[in-house]
Amino acid sequence: MQWWCSARATAWSWEWSPYPGVWLMLGVLVAGWVWVHRRAGAEASAGRTAAFGLGALALWLALDWPVGALAAGYLASVHMVQFLLVGLVAPPLLLLGVPGAAWERLDEAAGHRRSLRFATHPLVAFVVFNVVVGVTHWPTVVDGLMASQLGSFAIDMAWLAGGTALWWPVIAPVPEREGFSYPVKMGYLVAVTVTSTAPFLYLTFSELPVYATYELAPPIEGISTREDQQAAGILMKLGGAVVLWTALTVLFWRWYREEQGAAG
Amino acid sequence: MPQRAPGLLRRRLAAPLALLAALSVAGCGAPPADQAAAEGPLRGFEIEAPLAMPPATLVDTRGEPYDLRERTAGRITLLFFGYTHCPDVCPVHLANVAAALDHLERPVAREIEVVFVTTDPERDTRKRIRTWLDRFDRGFTGLRGNSATVAELQRELGLPPAVKEPREGEGYLVGHAAQVIAFGPDGFARARYPFGTRQADWVHDLPRLVRDGGE
Repeated sequence: MQWWCSARATAWSWEWSPYPGVWLMLGVLVAGWVWVHRRAGAEASAGRTAAFGLGALALWLALDWPVGALAAGYLASVHMVQFLLVGLVAPPLLLLGVPGAAWERLDEAAGHRRSLRFATHPLVAFVVFNVVVGVTHWPTVVDGLMASQLGSFAIDMAWLAGGTALWWPVIAPVPEREGFSYPVKMGYLVAVTVTSTAPFLYLTFSELPVYATYELAPPIEGISTREDQQAAGILMKLGGAVVLWTALTVLFWRWYREEQGAAG
Repeated sequence: MPQRAPGLLRRRLAAPLALLAALSVAGCGAPPADQAAAEGPLRGFEIEAPLAMPPATLVDTRGEPYDLRERTAGRITLLFFGYTHCPDVCPVHLANVAAALDHLERPVAREIEVVFVTTDPERDTRKRIRTWLDRFDRGFTGLRGNSATVAELQRELGLPPAVKEPREGEGYLVGHAAQVIAFGPDGFARARYPFGTRQADWVHDLPRLVRDGGE
């Protein structure tokens, strides 16, 4: 039995496989969320529960069979779907699921303030996210890590951490940053859409397969290695754009409503 | 003034033009992709001891006899033993060779013959082999022979003969050597390419095999 999805030499099968490591991780996440609510002494609101539930669902879909298994060792395009779900979709939803009282408690924890302020600074978060994206899509790293469960787990967790870093300054109310206004937040997300162009270009326009993992994987009927890699690049660009521009639209409307409220 | 303008223009444009000219010359002088790829040692495992293409006669997918030694003489030949029900090694090897051939310049690709010999003649009919190979490249040659002939052929090439392996559920798998053997135009083997050979390796080695011929 495998605990976490990793590349396998056997042909792809639609027969279900269990990955208990994924369930364990999700169990810890849910337990943590419940614990945070209890500790904060807050009732879970419907909105926050829905946000957290959707975030956990995105993680489960991305990491468990079949997406996790296909992504780990068969198709680069599914690997990219997994990245989008783990690195871009789940983190903002999980952050939105944190109760307000828990944010207040975090804000009161004076010992953490300086390190937290530094770690969640938009510039630091921007660099962290882009370094994570660059490193975890580097062929040597992908081919070296995806072959083992631990390596594959490390990549998935790096995406989750990088995505959390990226979204923290936009979503989390702690620490307060007065200068990080709506227009600046929007500029920050636009900058992310620009930097994600590099891996897109690399994957889409490489004439030869860049990842040995997917080039030498038992083939999946109907898609060649090159088509798969091009699909991965396009998915990265388009999927990332959909997520980021959705967030930009939400930010714009919030900003607009606040301005309207202030004017009214 | 009108006389000075061209001089000024020339002076101002001199540096960019010189750079452009240098780049153009460099561009003209740069070797084409296939030639550039053909530098350096082979990425496959070179075969030092003489190993000649065996003189076996098999049957191609049209039902015609195919004398391996005679028909492959004068070209680079990539010989591979496999079977069409193969779930992993065979389709990956053939897909990578086909993709690499697509990547090469036509005159180079035309010098290369890919010959697939089935190790599962029971299930691999001529039609099935043809249909399967056409998924990769219509130019690939597919061959069949009786089990004893194919086993002998593998032994002559220093490969372990393929063996049937039971499989969960229906059917069976066939354990077989996973390497492609590249022969020169002189009919002698030049290099072995195990499973794991990538398209980039083929794109690197095939032009060199063509260029070096039987050397």
